Amino acid sequence: MSVQIVLFSLYFVVIFAIGWYALKRTRDESDYWIAGGKLGWLLGGASMGATHASAGTFVGTIGVIYTAGWSFAWIVLSIPLAYWFMAAVLAPRFTRSKELTLPAFIETRYYSKAVRRLAAVIILIATVVYVQAQIVAGGIISNIVFGIPTEWGMIGFTVILLVYTSIGGMLAVVYTDFIQLVIMIVGVAAALPLAIRGLGGLGPLFTYVQAVKPETFTWESFPPTLLFTMGLAFTLGTVATPEKLVRLYAMKDMRTIRRGVLFAILVAAGLNLAIFVIALTSIVIFPALPRGDLAMPMVARAVLPPVLGSVLLAAIAAAIMSTVDSHMLVAGSALAHDIYGTLRPDASPKTRLWIGRVGILIVGSIPLLLILSGVGEGKLIQFIVLLFTALMASSFFMPVVVGVYWSRATKEGAASAMIGGLLVCFGWELWGPASIDPVLPGFLASAFLLVAVSLLTPPPPDSALAPYRR
Amino acid sequence: MMEVGFVFWGLFAVFGAFIAAYVAWMVWVERG
Repeated sequence: MSVQIVLFSLYFVVIFAIGWYALKRTRDESDYWIAGGKLGWLLGGASMGATHASAGTFVGTIGVIYTAGWSFAWIVLSIPLAYWFMAAVLAPRFTRSKELTLPAFIETRYYSKAVRRLAAVIILIATVVYVQAQIVAGGIISNIVFGIPTEWGMIGFTVILLVYTSIGGMLAVVYTDFIQLVIMIVGVAAALPLAIRGLGGLGPLFTYVQAVKPETFTWESFPPTLLFTMGLAFTLGTVATPEKLVRLYAMKDMRTIRRGVLFAILVAAGLNLAIFVIALTSIVIFPALPRGDLAMPMVARAVLPPVLGSVLLAAIAAAIMSTVDSHMLVAGSALAHDIYGTLRPDASPKTRLWIGRVGILIVGSIPLLLILSGVGEGKLIQFIVLLFTALMASSFFMPVVVGVYWSRATKEGAASAMIGGLLVCFGWELWGPASIDPVLPGFLASAFLLVAVSLLTPPPPDSALAPYRR
Repeated sequence: MMEVGFVFWGLFAVFGAFIAAYVAWMVWVERG
């Protein structure tokens, strides 16, 4: 236990020091929200990959594979597909007008502050849902590492994240993301061979899994339509999530983006694949866990030697923190830059920076308060992550991707696509058949509304299209 | 075990092909 506490304390000291260093290097809003737009491929790609690898990867996915089998692992192919699409199709046009946030892009392309604020509100709502899932996972880890009640763990996690994210902004986030990525890779690289060797190698592992849960290696654990539409959700959602899009602005040019994105694919998908195999070992070692989400923490605590187990737990904590800090930053920018900033455009740069910090503190606290009051408990973490991804894909994919290519897309079309996609997606989640992921109807509604409403409304002014025509 | 081979190793094979395709695309774009 003491090894764990020493390691975790050291980790927290380092990330606070980075937060302080980033505070000293942050001079204006561009530094604070997009690291000045000058990131190289290593930091930019590492930050993208670390943000992608979340509690959904380290706790959620392993929980789904533990519960429902290997066919879910094929979802990993959404990572190279989505990131290639970002680098090849979207980024060359999306980055022509360098903005600080996704809603700011929406205003530039759709010539409307109201549509920008609408995008900001959608981001705020969806972020709350997403961060909730991550904080629950943080509470589980804290409980295992420090033996404290889960609620206190969630509070501690949130406070640490809020401190370094709000003081250091994007610079703190990308530097800590890099360190967190290294911890994740070390943790998984150490745990994987030990877990496999403990069972006698891959061959015996497959035999044991077949004996304990014969359905693991079949295509029957998920309906094929659900597996395909979940893959679609992750692909479209990865492209359309604001925390990924803003990293396109943070990297300095297209060449950097192509390399950074390749690095992100390798680390994010590599971590996923390694974790999927660890999930298989957990099926054999702990065949009767009450909840799949406990599988990874149990492997860290009961299978590995104390130091390695601590590194793996630190890796899980790092995965959660590297994702939540990015979401808090995006939500804070939505509140401070896109809502407050458009209502008070004449505020001084210094005031805007401080409003940004306060914005992060406010929006970062809400998910915790909701969980502590009992809202959003009980679902497997990966399914909450999936819902967030589907909501983002249904709201933003069409207005962003089609917006940079189709000059006829109008503000009314974009607003209808965002609202309609969001409502249809959420409605399907509540009342639709479970065999189809809500992203499909949400995405189709968003596409239909964008096209139909745009064609029925006056075309956009030339000034809105200028950056995307060159 | 046939199915294990297909469901498990097939994923790694397809993933490797995707990465190779990305690198090929990147080289193609940068050579103009």
